[in-house]
Amino acid sequence: MKNNDINEKLSALYDGELDEAEINSVLDALSSDESLQKKLSHYALMSSALNINEGNVQPIKPKNRFNSNFWFSNGITAAASVLLTIVFINFDTINFSRLGPDNEAANRLNLAINSKAINFSRLGPDNEAANRLNLAINSKEAKDIASLSEENLVDHVLKVINNPEFMSSNNSDIDLRNVGFNTKGQSNSQYIKGKESFRLRLEKKNLGINKVRYWKHGNKMIYLVPLADGRVLTLYGNLNSKSAIEIAEVIDK
Amino acid sequence: MKKNNPEEDSLLIHRAQKGDTGAFNFLMTKYYPRVYASLFAFTKSKEDSEDLAQQTFIKVWKKINSFRGDSAFFTWVYRIAINLAKNHVVSSNYKKDKINISSDAIEMDFASHANPETDLMHSQSLFKVRSFINSLPETLRTAFTLRESDGLSYEEIALITDTPIGTVRSRIFRAREGVLEFISQESTNEK
Repeated sequence: MKNNDINEKLSALYDGELDEAEINSVLDALSSDESLQKKLSHYALMSSALNINEGNVQPIKPKNRFNSNFWFSNGITAAASVLLTIVFINFDTINFSRLGPDNEAANRLNLAINSKAINFSRLGPDNEAANRLNLAINSKEAKDIASLSEENLVDHVLKVINNPEFMSSNNSDIDLRNVGFNTKGQSNSQYIKGKESFRLRLEKKNLGINKVRYWKHGNKMIYLVPLADGRVLTLYGNLNSKSAIEIAEVIDK
Repeated sequence: MKKNNPEEDSLLIHRAQKGDTGAFNFLMTKYYPRVYASLFAFTKSKEDSEDLAQQTFIKVWKKINSFRGDSAFFTWVYRIAINLAKNHVVSSNYKKDKINISSDAIEMDFASHANPETDLMHSQSLFKVRSFINSLPETLRTAFTLRESDGLSYEEIALITDTPIGTVRSRIFRAREGVLEFISQESTNEK
């Protein structure tokens, strides 16, 4: 009964007909209920498909790839949009680009991997993300596994990029002077050492990651570092990977 | 053809403008197929359409505070998508023969564009679904088609059918559930 109620609310929200007071419950449920997310995707596909002009529907000969079920093939494509978005952030050639080779940092990272619970293994091209994307498009099961954690990352990274206050909203006076960074600003939210400057944020939840993820946005870097105690450290600013490691090591102690 | 109601997503848009990513994700999921469809009609390329759809929603998120509600949200998103597509065409020496109509015509008549699924689906699948909808109980079918095909609000449907709004909401939901169930069964049968 309760399930039906939330499903009916989803349908009403899809039509823009839900009261403001009821929206929260649907959005909350959506954030954690994958079947509800899938249902929303299917509603969207249904609308899109039903509004095709019949004259535009081209009878095509069955292709093995799509013959089994176009609905779910496209459901995956649409539902994987969130996943596609995060991969876009990883690979976009306009505003975002991958880190270049950094051998010294790589060596430091390998040492860190061997000596710490932090896993800094993602220095190379993000082949895993690319593979996951391909699997997500071609496999329903893979999509089911991948989409939720990637969706959380999309949310987080977009907040980091678009909302400066987000990055200084839970900084609890972490002292980084032993790695050469001093604080700046009234709220002590910015750390500076020479040309390097960044803001940091600690999440109590792990955002579904167990490896370091990093992106370049303009001339700034975003590092997401899972810590041994389950928290996730976000670093955003002009910061190289070597410094990011040092900072993570200090906070992880 | 479904009409675009400027008020339809106003609450979600307002929330997204305040930084509510859940609301934004809802809007993105809702409009992704239509954006993709429009881009596919423009580019005729699945890969380009996917890339441009992603760029579109990144840009929508960045610019959402500039959306004032003068037009329907999808119209605004559509303009962003098509502008990105145009730039893409210019910047990538796109072959003009891949574009089947002029960009001006697209902007004026975007709603009539083919959906990308036309490339992927067999027309029989769509016809089956439409046949199933026609077989729904009359009350469900009427509410559902007035909403999905004509884009009427629940209030308008309630007036037309002389039914309480709550009943309209329930009928549309039950029709959707029926269609999804039918599609799921068809999928199982085909396997």
